[in-house]
Amino acid sequence: MAYALIAVGYSMVFGVLRLINFSHSAVYAFGAYMVYFFVSLNFGLLPAVIIAVVLSGLLALTIDKVALEPLRKKKSIPIATLITTIGMSFIIQNVLSIEYVFGSEKRSFPSMNLFGNISIGNITIQSSQIIMLFVAVILLLILTFLVQKTKIGLAMRATEQNTKAANLMGINVNFVISFTFFIGGACAAIAGALIGGYYQVISPTMGSTIGLKAFAAAVVGGIGILHGSVVGGLVVGVAECLAAQYLGSNVRDPMAFVILILILIIKPTGLFGKKGVTKV
Amino acid sequence: MKKIFAIVLTLALILSCGAFAEGTIKIAVAGPMTGDNAEYGIGFANAAKLMASEWNANGGVTVGDETYTVEIVEYDDKSDSDEAAIIAENIVSDEDIWGVIGHFASGICMVAAPTYQDAEYVNISPTSSHADYSGIGDYIFRNNTVITVETRTGAEMAVNDLGGQAIGVLSIDSEWGQSAGNAMEANIQDIGGNFVLRQEVSTDAVDFATEIANFKAAGCDVIMVAGMYGTLAPFAVACNNSDYDVKLVGCSNAYTNNLIEIAGEAAEGIYAPVSFFAGSTDERIQAYVAAYTEAYGSAPSALTTQAYDSTGILLEAIVRAGKLDREAIKDAMYETEYDGMSGYTTFDEIGDAQKVFTKIMVKDGAFTLAEF
Repeated sequence: MAYALIAVGYSMVFGVLRLINFSHSAVYAFGAYMVYFFVSLNFGLLPAVIIAVVLSGLLALTIDKVALEPLRKKKSIPIATLITTIGMSFIIQNVLSIEYVFGSEKRSFPSMNLFGNISIGNITIQSSQIIMLFVAVILLLILTFLVQKTKIGLAMRATEQNTKAANLMGINVNFVISFTFFIGGACAAIAGALIGGYYQVISPTMGSTIGLKAFAAAVVGGIGILHGSVVGGLVVGVAECLAAQYLGSNVRDPMAFVILILILIIKPTGLFGKKGVTKV
Repeated sequence: MKKIFAIVLTLALILSCGAFAEGTIKIAVAGPMTGDNAEYGIGFANAAKLMASEWNANGGVTVGDETYTVEIVEYDDKSDSDEAAIIAENIVSDEDIWGVIGHFASGICMVAAPTYQDAEYVNISPTSSHADYSGIGDYIFRNNTVITVETRTGAEMAVNDLGGQAIGVLSIDSEWGQSAGNAMEANIQDIGGNFVLRQEVSTDAVDFATEIANFKAAGCDVIMVAGMYGTLAPFAVACNNSDYDVKLVGCSNAYTNNLIEIAGEAAEGIYAPVSFFAGSTDERIQAYVAAYTEAYGSAPSALTTQAYDSTGILLEAIVRAGKLDREAIKDAMYETEYDGMSGYTTFDEIGDAQKVFTKIMVKDGAFTLAEF
């Protein structure tokens, strides 16, 4: 479920901008640290999460304004933007690692296991896992509603299809893009809070591996398609568990990428992908 | 051209001799000062500085007729092999450094050690426990026991003291983790325990769902963990969260405050064998713990203490050598009989220290002597 939560954010930005935003995983770590910070200031869990979500949204927006918008204005090649997002993720990660900010060591994170555990026969399910599932589904529904049924969603879709034409039709394209980044960052923070609360350990590099796997999940589901990324996340997660169980723990980490490669060979657009989508 | 070169070299020689005349002996401390294992590296540096300041307060180090003050130089290897290789080259290019305390993880130590051996710099690792480490050369020492001795005490706890019916082993996939895991398996079986399952995870893993399910299915009631606090702490949390009532036995590296900070309540009842325990009632140890706590704000861990003793061992060897000569210092190292804070230390012919382990556990948010 963890992958699905992050993959939704990747898909959201890609869906509008045709841009793979690799700084997403760093914003995710930032979100988790913000929750940690505000909880340690005795804000309480829910207010801390809300503040973290807003701050992470603003961070993602800042990344766009500072690093990506100038590139867009200069009409630079897509690969430059891609590399820039990777660079931004390193900057954020390393700022978090600075001794006087948070330090590079692992930190203890408040538990999200709010309602204890549920046992069915031999299987124990933690309530934090159920919360993750619910939040992912609700997030998916909200985002789908936002994109499909609201005015701003219409503007997003228009921007995706043709930025210039959308601009001519009176859509404030820059605002739409900023808004998309804000939503993407907010999603990352929600994921950071929930996943951090599940493992109860956070570190500045927590996003790097999981972020790549979530990206694989997003591609598996068909990047840019929101419900696809949730399904992709589930596929990757289940495949990892099965691989660890039957082939040994060592094959767990490569599993996400094995699936990614298989999907790219068999169905390059992903499970739910439409034909004719240009890929980066 | 040749003449100028010769003059420059002579000048350089005179200048470097000038550095000796000022009277400092430099000791390098190399370890992870940032990153996941930072607590260990910073502990090394703190401990070495404390030892150096004690020597300096007592008039410095007397080598032959000259008296020198001790200076500690820190190097950050970031727990990274590439970084360690570069640092080792840096250290051996500094002629004023007379010994190296360091490198934390065995894999890293073994990358750097050949460089020290070739340049004839005495290298004492306070922590490396990989069986092959000290065999790299005669300049390579460790003030730590090999992992088989340490895990022996751990296995005794798992089999005899905790009465484990089915014992599992969780190891990280590093050089050290694998050899520690193997040693645990061998020791459990050797003592007559019922070893049932080995699981391996990556060093930065935080997701243990599959492993816990497997341990549960195998009916393990005690698990020995061959990992640093960065693995042991989240594993304890994960066991706790999935209602898995299991007793955990770590290694001596579990004895750090970070374990309790990260794992919180889940750390309760984690057992570990240690060569040094700050809660000991010995007067000398109490004095040392008080001095360390005053200087750095927290009690020293076992590994920090081994770094403290390593510095003392090295300085004594330099004094015994009677001259600043690398080979003489190395030879003097083998005559070490050092009654330090981490026990009475001697080195065998390949440079391994011999020590006795104490059993400890986490109780009410603090380390205490183990109760079973």
